[in-house]
Amino acid sequence: MKQTPELDRYQHNMRPGGITLKGFLGKDRRSLNEILIDDDAEVRRLGTTHEAIAARMQSLRDAGKAGLGEPITVQQQYEIRVDDVRGKLPCPFEDAVVQKTFIQVKNIAQNQVITYTDLHIHMIKEHGFYEGHHSGFRLPPADLVSILNVPVSEEESTQIP
Amino acid sequence: MFLGLVVSVGAMCGISTVLALIMVAAESTIGNYGDVKVSINDGEKEIDARGGKPLLTTLKEGKVFIPSACGGRGSCGLCKCKVKSGAGEVLPTELPWLSDEERKDHVRLSCQLKVKADMDVEIEPELLYVREFRTTVVGLDDLTHDIKQLTLKLEEPDTIDYKAGQFVQIETPEYELTDEPVYRAYSMSSVPSNKHEIEMEVRLVPDGICTTYVHNHLKVGDTMTVNGPYGDFKLSNTDKDMICIAGGSGMAPLKSILYNMREKDIKRKATYFFGAKSKRDLFLLDEMKQLEKDLHDFRFIPALSEPQDDDHWEGETGLITEVVDRHTDDLSNSEAYLCGSPLMIDACIVVLKDHGMPEENIFYDKFA
Repeated sequence: MKQTPELDRYQHNMRPGGITLKGFLGKDRRSLNEILIDDDAEVRRLGTTHEAIAARMQSLRDAGKAGLGEPITVQQQYEIRVDDVRGKLPCPFEDAVVQKTFIQVKNIAQNQVITYTDLHIHMIKEHGFYEGHHSGFRLPPADLVSILNVPVSEEESTQIP
Repeated sequence: MFLGLVVSVGAMCGISTVLALIMVAAESTIGNYGDVKVSINDGEKEIDARGGKPLLTTLKEGKVFIPSACGGRGSCGLCKCKVKSGAGEVLPTELPWLSDEERKDHVRLSCQLKVKADMDVEIEPELLYVREFRTTVVGLDDLTHDIKQLTLKLEEPDTIDYKAGQFVQIETPEYELTDEPVYRAYSMSSVPSNKHEIEMEVRLVPDGICTTYVHNHLKVGDTMTVNGPYGDFKLSNTDKDMICIAGGSGMAPLKSILYNMREKDIKRKATYFFGAKSKRDLFLLDEMKQLEKDLHDFRFIPALSEPQDDDHWEGETGLITEVVDRHTDDLSNSEAYLCGSPLMIDACIVVLKDHGMPEENIFYDKFA
């Protein structure tokens, strides 16, 4: 797969001060194409799919909404807080405008916390995009799989313990 | 051969110089819209400015402040105003925010629209009274593990007029999380009669630019810039019974309203439901108890959704919606004042309407 003019345009949308103050790429110098390919390989190495990761993020978000903006314990495993802030964010891939909802999930046993937004769920599900390295809002696939307990296929997974 | 090389280099230099001149000329003509005049509310105020900047910026430089929660990135949809002339076509970046009716009514998103010609703008008249204040931090106190009370003394101007329930925008200066000033809105928890100081309750949001600054960087003695007041969340002029509902820092505007009722000896019956997860998320309990004594007919009902064993909690438990449902009957002649998460407010509105409260009697201040 090549870096197409279309990907160039999406990458331009991801610059700091475009859609968000900090942008989506951090100091990552790779092309968007390379970023997508590398994360796709990482997700396959972990034995899962972008869709499965997004589905898990979405189901935990839905469970956390019951807390009405306050933290709520879910399945005795997670403490989840879901809240909306004013406005919507357009997806840099130009296919959606998404409500600004932030979701904070604490895996109680691991004492690990991960924070994501509805836009992350959309970008992972539809584009396999987890943001660039060193972006403040990057979600490393391995962290998502581990903290959110995303189901993985042991046969396919080559994850290093 | 040497002569050929010199000629080639000379030709390249000449072409580069011409291109540079064309670019300079283009910069000063195509991007230069000259001097423009922005007339506000039929000439009630006029701003003379250089064209080319977004309307929101032009207004701010002219000391006219319109609330914006996203720093002018077109993602909050808050900075709408009516532009009666001089605006041109609606931009693609404005479209997600404008209804058909608003477009017909010439409503525009002021952060996206650039001022390229004289403009005739209409804004809420109250916004002309919004001022920018230089302040000093005189208090920064922990209310809970993640909520701080921020107290600012006004320096220039040194007084503010506002109504209980209104909010201000505070400016977070450049620091490690932001390369440019960022504005965020906070309700004032103070009483309007104290015109020299304002208080806010700031809850730490993970990675939040403004809340991280307030919680981890700001110190007593620092200066801060705020602008305001904004908002129409305030006590109505009726004698209806009041149901107040809040969670977390949603306490702020309701505290201001209740303290104002005490000062003005307003004798309305009020019940205040406050939701938190566990005891460590509750605050101002003594102040609320004192209000129960001081106000004519006031009851404060804190409720915990997940009390911990060592909380030894004997009060109400459950989600705030469940507690409101248990404690209320017919609300058809009552009013509600809600402040907190949009999820909480939307869920509470359903409960209140189930108890017969007309939608027009429900006033709310969403954190959104």
